[in-house]
Amino acid sequence: MADAVLEQTVDHEAAVAGRRRFWSRVLIYGLLAIFSLVYIVPLFVVVFNSFRDLPEISRNGLIAIPQSFRLDAWPQAWDTYCIGGACEGMKRYFFNSLMMTIPATIISTALGMINGYILSKWRFRGSEVLFTCMLLGVFMPGQISLLPWAFLLGKIGLNNSVYGLILVHVIQGLSFTTLFCRNYYVNIPDDLIKAARIDGAGFWRIFWKIVLPLSPPILIVTVIWQFTGIWNEYLFGVVLNSGAQQPITAALVALSTGGTNVRVFDVMSAAVLIGALPPLLVYFFGGKYFVRGLTQGAIK
Amino acid sequence: MSIVGAAAQVGAPGWRDRLGKAVPIIVLAPSLVASFIYVFVFAGWTIYISLSNSSLLPTYDFVGFEHYEALWANRRWNIAYTNLFIFSVFYVIGAMAVGLLLAILIDQRIRAESFWRTIFLYPLAVSFIVTGTVWSWLYNPTAGIEFLVRNLGWSNFEFALTTDRKLAIYAIVLTGIWQSSGFAMALFLAGLRSVDQDIVKAAQIDGASTFRTYRKVILPTIAPIFLAVMVVLLQFAIKTFDLAVALTNSGPGISTTFPAIYVYDLMFQRGQIAEGAAAAVMILLALAAVLVPYALYVVWRRRKESGNG
Amino acid sequence: MTFRLRAVSAAAVTTFALLTSTAFAEPKTLMLHQWATGSDAASIAKLGELFAAAGGKWEQTAIAGHTANTLAKLRADVVAGNAPAAVQLKGPEIAEWNETGMTANLDDLAAEEGWDKVVAPELLPVMKPAGSWIAAPMNIHRINWIWGNKAAMEAAGVTELPKTWANFNAACEKAIATGKICLAHLSADWTDATTFEVVVYGQDPELFKKAFVEGDIEALRSEGMIKAFDQMRLMVDKYMDPAIAGRDYDTASNMMANGDALFFIMGDWEIGVLKAAGHNPGEDILCAQAPTDWGKPGFILNSDSVVFFQQNDPDYIEGQKLLAHLILSPEFQTVFNISKGSIPARMDVDLSQGFNPCQQTAQADLKASVEAGTLVRSMAHNMTVLQKYRGAMMEAITEFVNTPEMSSEDAANNMADAVEAQM
Repeated sequence: MADAVLEQTVDHEAAVAGRRRFWSRVLIYGLLAIFSLVYIVPLFVVVFNSFRDLPEISRNGLIAIPQSFRLDAWPQAWDTYCIGGACEGMKRYFFNSLMMTIPATIISTALGMINGYILSKWRFRGSEVLFTCMLLGVFMPGQISLLPWAFLLGKIGLNNSVYGLILVHVIQGLSFTTLFCRNYYVNIPDDLIKAARIDGAGFWRIFWKIVLPLSPPILIVTVIWQFTGIWNEYLFGVVLNSGAQQPITAALVALSTGGTNVRVFDVMSAAVLIGALPPLLVYFFGGKYFVRGLTQGAIK
Repeated sequence: MSIVGAAAQVGAPGWRDRLGKAVPIIVLAPSLVASFIYVFVFAGWTIYISLSNSSLLPTYDFVGFEHYEALWANRRWNIAYTNLFIFSVFYVIGAMAVGLLLAILIDQRIRAESFWRTIFLYPLAVSFIVTGTVWSWLYNPTAGIEFLVRNLGWSNFEFALTTDRKLAIYAIVLTGIWQSSGFAMALFLAGLRSVDQDIVKAAQIDGASTFRTYRKVILPTIAPIFLAVMVVLLQFAIKTFDLAVALTNSGPGISTTFPAIYVYDLMFQRGQIAEGAAAAVMILLALAAVLVPYALYVVWRRRKESGNG
Repeated sequence: MTFRLRAVSAAAVTTFALLTSTAFAEPKTLMLHQWATGSDAASIAKLGELFAAAGGKWEQTAIAGHTANTLAKLRADVVAGNAPAAVQLKGPEIAEWNETGMTANLDDLAAEEGWDKVVAPELLPVMKPAGSWIAAPMNIHRINWIWGNKAAMEAAGVTELPKTWANFNAACEKAIATGKICLAHLSADWTDATTFEVVVYGQDPELFKKAFVEGDIEALRSEGMIKAFDQMRLMVDKYMDPAIAGRDYDTASNMMANGDALFFIMGDWEIGVLKAAGHNPGEDILCAQAPTDWGKPGFILNSDSVVFFQQNDPDYIEGQKLLAHLILSPEFQTVFNISKGSIPARMDVDLSQGFNPCQQTAQADLKASVEAGTLVRSMAHNMTVLQKYRGAMMEAITEFVNTPEMSSEDAANNMADAVEAQM
């Protein structure tokens, strides 16, 4: 951002400034490199350990350059390792999590968009108060709602099912998605909506034709937030569902807190990566848009 | 200015119009009812249970505040909220400091910006369970960082954070910062990008250094974002559960108990649902202590802005 | 012997299956337990195999790690109106859940199969808290074991496993003099409490009963308790290595098994762990009753059991009967306990075949301690006081272990105050 100024100065000053600029670049990239190392090392440790064999891990420690390479841990973690008494690996829990996360993300995001649209563009008497009340849901600690949820799901016959968890995550997610979308839509000029109304467009038409086409940035932020949040949730998954119905986080904890067991770091590493992969992919592909979406108003 | 008011002057009154006006409320209603139940009924239920004599299962015989007295007499609860206080201070300040530094670095028109950003953001994608598990390996004195450094030749190097009861809480702080500073970075970066570039240019033409431009011009304009980030991180801190369970599981001893863990243990393991609910109400109060002033501030600021505009 | 046993069990199972399957379609069960991995999971898998072999449909939820998660799940299921058919529950919790009126009554089956005559008498008040059978015991664990690495002991000049705490301290001094760790340990609330209760019991079984079984506040605060904390402090400071916190079970077990440490004080599930690591408990790894200062056989007892909750679906009711029958069958009690390290809850099972010498000692010591009147149930393993008192005790103990500057007086007072605060 100093470029424009520098071009107008005389040569000598330019040289001094250039040198300073060089060193400040070194400093910037140096700091970035140091920090990224701290951030990336834990990931590398897990990736490496998923390919090392167990004796090597116990000999050289968990953080070491791999000296062996084998893929065994992966199919074992995915397919055959015994977790919670069932020797079927992570795969069924992985699919449970997908079956839960995808619908819950879609429904909560869709509802959040419509709610945000109403609370920003179709305000009515008391809508601000109602919005504030919904917002409180963002801050509810999970331990408080656990037993009430169990009771409620039991009453409507959705206990111990992936559908029950979908319902829980949709309702708990509503506060987030509504908040994100409402704060984003507030920035759409009211005149745009007003003009559409004068042209005779109704509630849904304005949503489809004006609001939705402007939504991709916030859509991405919301989807990323919901997907990772729901995929990574542990407490509800482990308490509300049993056995074959549990999500992947429950399986991960079952695998890693082994009680009186040999710790199979290789299989555990592969399992950890399997459990972390979907949200990681979402971030790697959507991370760019995440910051951009935030920039465009989600945090105001 | 509400659209509904403007619309009323435009369209002709009729049943279609009245229905049209009702559509938003009808569409919103299910979400509102669900959220209302989730927030108020669930919290109200917990408050009532904290005043009952529930033990193994919830019961509804009112006994008053005796479980709150028992709670505040409990050593472990004392440890839990002391930990929460320590954790909140270091975690919030740490994550904000690192997040701001990274945001400023990335804001320097660097190459491959999205590459760096992705590196700093990815921990956010990983669950606390995974983060806690992996960091517990790194902290493990016989296989992790301590083992590595000793093998490299520094034979009396000590990095046994999780196994020292005085330091274990800082292991959780460090891991928490690692996990959340990318999030703080994203929010700060969003704030930095929203600063009016004309003001920045003006400052630079006046000859202000980069450092001074940030300190005097850019950062003050994003002050509200500092507050927002702080509030978001604080409420993460107050709800800390998964991370501490996966990393230290309250140990060594009971030294890293957090209020949310206390609630869970009492309500679920010990069959002391009422006292657990009392502790949960305390967590709600702590959240309220953070959020109510913030909400008031936001309302105040919005009023001021709309008054100016 | 395994072959014969299998044949017998298969025959028993098929006759039972024939009896039931004529009347009902398909016995089903969903069992909730916390044996998620390793030898525990393998042991419980045997139950599943027997259940399936008898024509039942076996389903399970294994929740690893903390009992809290198992109990949270149970509570959530009960609140949801969907109590699991079978749950692994123990000690005072059986009585507590019995009081909710939701547990199923097993009296008919018990009478038919004569459980009262064959089950160890000490278990009866736990399994029949209000006079009716509501729980099926799977085993009896002994807590007060000391394990010793024979080679390491010989190298340190220790000839036999210590019989008294004075012997133990003397042996430890020898071990330290030769540069060995005396006692392998890992610090967690349940392991600290296990070691500590063994110390208290070894010094004074009457104090153990008053403090840990009856929850008497004055006993928790007494001189005897302070003395026990003194011994515990000595062991933590001097006889254990400094890295006990954050260590996992397997590492601690290996320290002793590989000879880095001489001893390990731990319950009999250690047998399963040692065998899995290729050792022979009773041969290269010695076992004996943990030190006592009063010269009689002693036994700290722990028992795993299964509680059944009332069901509406006849398939599940039938499944409960089948499961309870299988759990109490000599076949299951044998295969399950051989791999788990414990001994059968039935007194009429012959341990001379397939069981380990340490397990055989356990059965003999159990009988002897009943006669001597020294048998107690374990506090650390949730067989005596309610969870809230047990939790308070365990917290005080583990805090003491992990706080070098805490005095024994303070620890005893803390423990008494914490328990009192729960009353």
